[in-house]
Amino acid sequence: MVKDPVCGMEIDPNVAFESREHMEHKYFFCSESCLQKFDNNPHQYVLMTEDPIGSATTGFNPNTRVLQIELPILELAKEGQPGGELIKKALKKLNGIDRVIVNSTSGIVVVDFDNQVIQIQEIVGVIKKTGYLVGGSKTRIGIENIRCTSCVGFIETELKATPGVLDASVNIATQEATIDYLPEQTTLHRLNSAIEDWGYKTRPALSEESVDQQQAAHEKEYKRLMNRFWFAAIISIPVLITAYPKFIPLVRDWSMTTLRVSWFFAALLTLPVLLWSGGDFFNGAWAALKHRAANMNTLIALGTGAAWLYSTVAIGFPGIFPEGTSEPFYDVVAVVIALVVLGQALELRAKGRTSEAIKKLMGLQAKTARVIRNGVEIDIPVEEVLVGDTVQVRPGEKIPVDGVILEGSSAVDESMLTGESLPSSKKVGDDVIGATLNKTGAFKFRTTKVGKDTALAQIVKMVQDAQNSKAPIARLADTISGYFVPIVMILAVVTFVIWFDFGPKPQLIYGLVTAVSVLIIACPCALGLATPMSLMVGIGKGAENGILIRSGEALQTAQGIKTVVLDKTGTITKGKPELTDLLVVDKQQVTRDEMLRLAASVESISEHPLAEAIVEGARNKGLSIGKPEAFEAVPGHGVIATVEGQRVVLGNLKMMKRENVDLVDLEVKSEALANDGKTPMFIALNGKAAGIIAVADTVKEDSKEAIAVLHKMGIEVVMITGDNRRTAEAIARQVGVDRVLAEVLPEDKALNVHLLQAEGKKVAMVGDGINDAPALAQADVGLAIGTGTDVAIEASDITLIKGSLKGVVTAIEVSRATMRNIKQNLVGAFIYNILGVPIAMGVLFPFFGVLLSPLLAGAAMAFSSVTVVGNANRLRAFHPKFRSR
Amino acid sequence: MTTPQIIVMIGGILLILFIAWFFWLSPKEQTRISTNNNGTQEVAITVKGGYTPDIIVVKAGQPLRMRFTRQESSSCSETVTFPDFNKSAKLPEGQEVIVEFTPDKPGEYGFQCLMGMLRGKLIVE
Repeated sequence: MVKDPVCGMEIDPNVAFESREHMEHKYFFCSESCLQKFDNNPHQYVLMTEDPIGSATTGFNPNTRVLQIELPILELAKEGQPGGELIKKALKKLNGIDRVIVNSTSGIVVVDFDNQVIQIQEIVGVIKKTGYLVGGSKTRIGIENIRCTSCVGFIETELKATPGVLDASVNIATQEATIDYLPEQTTLHRLNSAIEDWGYKTRPALSEESVDQQQAAHEKEYKRLMNRFWFAAIISIPVLITAYPKFIPLVRDWSMTTLRVSWFFAALLTLPVLLWSGGDFFNGAWAALKHRAANMNTLIALGTGAAWLYSTVAIGFPGIFPEGTSEPFYDVVAVVIALVVLGQALELRAKGRTSEAIKKLMGLQAKTARVIRNGVEIDIPVEEVLVGDTVQVRPGEKIPVDGVILEGSSAVDESMLTGESLPSSKKVGDDVIGATLNKTGAFKFRTTKVGKDTALAQIVKMVQDAQNSKAPIARLADTISGYFVPIVMILAVVTFVIWFDFGPKPQLIYGLVTAVSVLIIACPCALGLATPMSLMVGIGKGAENGILIRSGEALQTAQGIKTVVLDKTGTITKGKPELTDLLVVDKQQVTRDEMLRLAASVESISEHPLAEAIVEGARNKGLSIGKPEAFEAVPGHGVIATVEGQRVVLGNLKMMKRENVDLVDLEVKSEALANDGKTPMFIALNGKAAGIIAVADTVKEDSKEAIAVLHKMGIEVVMITGDNRRTAEAIARQVGVDRVLAEVLPEDKALNVHLLQAEGKKVAMVGDGINDAPALAQADVGLAIGTGTDVAIEASDITLIKGSLKGVVTAIEVSRATMRNIKQNLVGAFIYNILGVPIAMGVLFPFFGVLLSPLLAGAAMAFSSVTVVGNANRLRAFHPKFRSR
Repeated sequence: MTTPQIIVMIGGILLILFIAWFFWLSPKEQTRISTNNNGTQEVAITVKGGYTPDIIVVKAGQPLRMRFTRQESSSCSETVTFPDFNKSAKLPEGQEVIVEFTPDKPGEYGFQCLMGMLRGKLIVE
């Protein structure tokens, strides 16, 4: 006796209504209704009769029909969200739900449900209706050779019944399954085996990266074009022989009749060339014609089509043409199509290389991550990493996604994203960026951004958007190419009429050859390609050097910058005070290190930025910091505390007066420090003046060098700051800035930029993107200095990922180089057409008796657009003055 | 001038006039998009040698969803860009790609493939 898996009835296999095989087991059914239920969702019943898969994670207990599932709900953990109650209420209304527990803090809903009554998919659907989304991963698995639509249904049900799967669908066209699932509860391996149970082989899904996809498409298209080229090229050989019999030894002796027969063969041979190799031109021309538009396809289709038709009529009915004009031009048809198709294929190859920068960026992404879940380290594909996961990173490994360090410390090489050549040291609480390289230490971090939200993904998205944007310079070319093709068609008609009416004999031949040449030589493609190709390479080149240019317009404006306005704090300087000077009154009384140690001990419990600078300074010198007692902060004055029995007073002049400390010559010395833009603080030990500690916001190492190069490029550099004039000018002297706008209120920065623009100059503003947003927006080009991950700085036209002013130089260099390249392309394309079309019309004929063969016209046209793309590719050799290694 | 020459001359002039009229002067078919229940204006656009429909009339201030399907392998049409909206999308062959934005200002905005061989126009009213 066996058990019906659906109703549980004991039946004799021999008298069973029907049987099914599923996952290598045979099941027997008592009735049609049980069978139908099973067929609808076999896995559900298999689970009832077998040991469940993954019972440990789902809490599935085979003795009851109640299953438990933990669903992470996105944004449930946010404060003030009513979601928990909403979801609970909605779920409770459903049949088959036993219990709902909402844990708002961890953002998890635990549901006990009867899987005979309700499916996970329904539960997820109901939650969706409350306005919340169930978190999880989406993956795609390729399925080989799936053809039957009924199998699609089986695999979908199978996947949906796999514990942890929220939704699944199979697309027969792409041969791929798309699965939403909870990575905590199932693995890719388990999903794969669910598909393989149905006898299908799985394969990795085609990469979702558009670049890979595009590359695959390009490869296919290249092969397609090359097939068509070779076909046309091979046919061209016999056709050329029959077209120029005089030059070919044996053929020279053919009689006119033999020749005529050979022409008929040529007509037949070139027909597939025209319709297959050149099919794209005719299809494209027809599609454009339906929209009352014309493009390159129209020209080639008209040119080759006219040549073939004339030739066929000429050899078919030689009588209707004047003597000597009934000669065919099949060679034009075959050779021109072969050349233009070859040109397209080569262009495609060259185009592929223009997106190299994006490919490089995407290649930075780590493939796997070592995630710690339930105390166990597991290696999973990076796509399955969730926000909030703990990831372990060892020395020499790539950091998979963005996050915050929980444990351990290390030096991380971020040069691939920021261009910063020195590894930056990271400790607990510091941000790490995905795709950067961990150098020395091991650490664990909590993920904060995954998938499309990571800094790398955003950089890629931004660069791609910018690459496909338009530079204003392209407008002219666009406008012209809108009229271009009809004008060429008109010129072809004019050419034919002039040659026919005024040309030498045989007029029909001359008219036709020249008109066809005009149609073929004109190349709207070169014009259309001129800007986008260079932009693609130029913006990619910028990205390689840590400069994210938002659009073609930003790139074009950047080349004409005459004035660069630099915000002081955080742009020229580090934006964080550092210890700069230590002066002691009497070395016998106290050494400089000892004074610093005492001061740092007092300040160790203060959180003031100046205090931090002192403590940091002491730490850098390796001084051991003591514990302050009887700490007292006097607002506007300073601090007092006892350290190791000594009474330490640290503060400004007012503090010293209040404590009646005799400053001797310290007051004069402090004046001098203040003149240099530093902040001096007096120190008194046990009521006696001990010395001065000065801190200042120091200049970034490379600011001076970058400003010098800007000057060399003929750019005026202006510093803008809210600081007092004295501090501002001290900094300006250090870095060599020629103009200082000091004591500018933050809200007036934009106004000051506007005033500079009123001097008739193109102004670039460089700032931090948050406080300077209005000024960045006001400037012709706003450059935001980011720190690693802030790529999405809205107000900026250009983001410098590396926080260095050298980026400003490189940005302008990239812009100038790209614009130069675009201009070369445009001028080249214009000159080509402006010279080529009249030559094809035959303007040289009256003077030199030369006429352009349509074959040469075809070659010129094919290679003009390849040249444009090739020239754009030259930009790949661009190297910034400041090389980032 | 012989008779055939005069015929060719007149024929040529007529042909030129026809070309000018056909490509520039003749009125072009416009496709007006209506708003669906969700308040979105939705249109499916086929990319094959051109955009069908290519002249699209939409209302300002309402979200616009364009579903592009490229039905050719020619690499020219692999990207569609809306330069005035700084929007672009890669169109893998045979795959529906959605481009969404809300046109705010009335006016005429072109959209095209990267090199401008295929062109369309968005008329915002």
